[in-house]
Amino acid sequence: MKFDNIIIGGGLSGLTCGIKLAEQGKKCAIVSSGQSAIHFFSGSFDLLGKLNGQEVKNPLEAIKTLPDAHPYQRVGIKNIARLAVEAPQLLDRAGLQFSGKSDQNHFVLTPMGIMKPTWLTIDDFTRFEQNDVFPWKKAVILNFSGFLDFHTLFVQDGLKKYDVDVQIKNFAMKEFEAIRRNPSEMRSTNIAKVFDQGEDVLNEFAQKVNQLSEGFEVVILPAVFGLFTKNVVTDLKSMINKPLVLIPAIPPSVPGIRSQILLRKRFEELGGTYFLGDIVEEGTFKNNRLVAVQTNNHGNIKLEADQFVLASGSFYSKGIVATRDKLYEPILGLDIDGDIDSEKWLDEKFFNDQPYMHYGVKTDSGFRALKNGKPIENLFAAGSVLGGANALKEGSGAGISLLTSLHVAEQILK
Amino acid sequence: MNKNISKEYDVIIIGGGVTGAGTARDCAMRGLSVLLVERHDFATGATGRNHGLLHSGARYAVTDHESAAECIKENMILRRIANHCVEENDGLFITLPEDDIAFQSQFVDACKTAGIGTEILDPDFARRIEPSVNPDLIGAVKVPDGSVDPFRLTMSNALDARIHGAVLLTQHEVKGIVKEQDRAIGVELFNHETKQNVNYYGKIIVNAGGIWGHHIAKLAGVNINMFPAKGSLLIFGHRVNKMVINRCRKPSNADILVPGDTICLIGTTSERIPYDQIDNMFVSRQDVDVLIREGVKLSPTLATTRILRAYAGVRPLVAADNDPSGRSISRGIVLLDHQERDGLSGFITITGGKLMTYRLMAEEATDLICKKLAVDKQCETAEKSLPGAEKSEHPLSIATEKVYTGANISQKSAKDRHGTLAKNILNGDDYEDSLVCECEGVSIAEVKYAINELHVNNLIDLRRRTRVGMGTCQGELCACRAAGLLCESFEKPGKAKDDLANFLQERWKGMLPITWGEGINEIQFTSWIYEGIYGLKPDNN
Repeated sequence: MKFDNIIIGGGLSGLTCGIKLAEQGKKCAIVSSGQSAIHFFSGSFDLLGKLNGQEVKNPLEAIKTLPDAHPYQRVGIKNIARLAVEAPQLLDRAGLQFSGKSDQNHFVLTPMGIMKPTWLTIDDFTRFEQNDVFPWKKAVILNFSGFLDFHTLFVQDGLKKYDVDVQIKNFAMKEFEAIRRNPSEMRSTNIAKVFDQGEDVLNEFAQKVNQLSEGFEVVILPAVFGLFTKNVVTDLKSMINKPLVLIPAIPPSVPGIRSQILLRKRFEELGGTYFLGDIVEEGTFKNNRLVAVQTNNHGNIKLEADQFVLASGSFYSKGIVATRDKLYEPILGLDIDGDIDSEKWLDEKFFNDQPYMHYGVKTDSGFRALKNGKPIENLFAAGSVLGGANALKEGSGAGISLLTSLHVAEQILK
Repeated sequence: MNKNISKEYDVIIIGGGVTGAGTARDCAMRGLSVLLVERHDFATGATGRNHGLLHSGARYAVTDHESAAECIKENMILRRIANHCVEENDGLFITLPEDDIAFQSQFVDACKTAGIGTEILDPDFARRIEPSVNPDLIGAVKVPDGSVDPFRLTMSNALDARIHGAVLLTQHEVKGIVKEQDRAIGVELFNHETKQNVNYYGKIIVNAGGIWGHHIAKLAGVNINMFPAKGSLLIFGHRVNKMVINRCRKPSNADILVPGDTICLIGTTSERIPYDQIDNMFVSRQDVDVLIREGVKLSPTLATTRILRAYAGVRPLVAADNDPSGRSISRGIVLLDHQERDGLSGFITITGGKLMTYRLMAEEATDLICKKLAVDKQCETAEKSLPGAEKSEHPLSIATEKVYTGANISQKSAKDRHGTLAKNILNGDDYEDSLVCECEGVSIAEVKYAINELHVNNLIDLRRRTRVGMGTCQGELCACRAAGLLCESFEKPGKAKDDLANFLQERWKGMLPITWGEGINEIQFTSWIYEGIYGLKPDNN
């Protein structure tokens, strides 16, 4: 089977790259082994939230001070500024409305009830322009009785700092009795499915919310609406007679799964081929080029392409593997940018900057992956499989995924 | 704080390990007024940091006849009085090609002398009854080993002490011993919760502080020569073996594989460490190497089984009084009457021994206390069951209940963990049945029970009581749910957030030496959830 481009990895990077290439008429395939990190999506994409422990106000300015090896520096500051405008447009064409500015972080409310700086926020959630002001004085937090994945008291505690009078109310609805009966079923996706099933439930729910929130200025709910379509969120907002603030629950994330579904749909509508549940097992290299890959499901049928993109993610997506004494890239055996000495991988304090978080696949300046010290001419790496940054500490995970994959797509399209 | 409780007791017991809890139970059952004080939580020292092996005594049969005989006797008692803490798995002592098979007959003879039942098995038969065993074995002996949950055992003793009137104070650290001339009359405590000092008075002060007893004795002005020996263990992600697997040779490093609940564990190494390191236990890579190398010899499948956690405990080895060098070490029970030994009355130390002989240690200590207080009451701890282990009067109804009731996973797990006390865990209500921890089947009702009844101060305590966060995901998702419930009970959300951060750090400490493969994937995921999505910090207030 022959494609123009094959992308290994169906997460945020892989899909972004695939959509951009497909929009430019390329015949693309994505090979995805299954769930991706978008399923744990918080509702926001960070560009750069923190630098040396300090909150960043203007990410585009702050990026200039990052070390040379950082993926943003390798993309180039000018390119970053340009691609940061392009990214939300691409998402918008997929039906995902994000808003935010790359030169000024806004804030979102976390499940701990604190304001966190971020770049783009999906329109399910509320953007706050300042981290020291909560615009309402009387708030009610509503939760589904028996739903343990939303921590009302933490949110209440956090909001105390803003002098907000917060009340918590739990409520039950007969539609949730069935899932509540099974002790492990009361999870966000199952609640979302109930609302996806019909308007009646949503109507009844909205009425209940209006009743319980009488006398309050704002309603706070867990983000468990709209697994397959965004309409549920839009409808709910129109039915509730006051502002609604949604807060992420414990993963899996409902808006995350929806985002994944919509991105994949967009890719496929553009003519892309999405191989779900398939794993690339090895590659055939010739003269510093990757000629074809072999996958588990396709057996002898090799997948060939002019260019390949490795967007297989970090450790938890198994893009990088650590054994007792070795780090390696498990799909194509690429070079790793990380410490050889396994004693240096981890810091004994959980919340410290963990060295392993910086590790990834080695590339040249044009994001071509290295194998045995030499760049593979037609193999690019994008997203969190790249090293050079602790995306968690910086708050740069989604930014690196989106912008490196757009940049790589541009290299391919050149 | 504690305004309502008395400041004077017959006995003050220092240490919330199994020895302290057992002594509190025994003293309280004999009608004494008892205060137990513990600086952290129950079972945080050596008690909770061992194999959880219900020794048959076979391990000591050849080298230490006395210990072996004590073990088998206590083994049979614990099966009776603590059946909800015990799994009667039996054990195998296997001989590998590199071992001397001649040792087997010496071993069997020694077991016989100590009163330990043995059965020599054909290797083929051994492979069939324990499929995980090293198939190369050339000999196997079956013995009445088992597994015991030390957290549950300690808590059951503490609960029974409380039922008999004892007062239990966790988070209270002994800062000094109050003395009047040559007599110890009380303890100076620091309350870690309120950050206040408080004194309590007792006729007899019992030092049951394990290895920390060395320091407590010092506070009383007496000297006990203790030598800390570190033992490291690894916990695997699932239970590969049905029976305990030992090597049939003289006791050595990492030669016991014990199944327990949903997991199994291998240990231990043994290494003398300086006293100032006893609060700073870490497992080195060398320890991990030894444990894996030797573990694989017992059960080859361990080579590819995910390791959940590594931890180490400290054995309190006590040097004989006439040997300050520490060469002559006793592994047996050490009961010191400091009045006779050092001229300090009202102060005794109970130490040495092992998890298996905690009840006997408590009995000996309580006998001495009763003698000093001129109380004439017999020990009943060997006959009376611990709370949770009482035999039902209608065994048939229990059997039919097992077959016919539609108890869900959390109710069944609660029964396994709390025995007959599970009846105090309200369930039946859909809300209360919701699962907090999916790996271990812990429900809201069980968490609430533990918070209300089992002296839970924080998430880490809750883990010891209910196994929340002990399973495969190591608290990835359940920690936050449990923190939410703790927060509801204590109404201190700020503290609950920090608890959650401490819980993650505590888990991390155990994962650090073994974090590779899936371990590193899991920890990265955990970091993204708690730090990335939740915005949790080490200090949240």
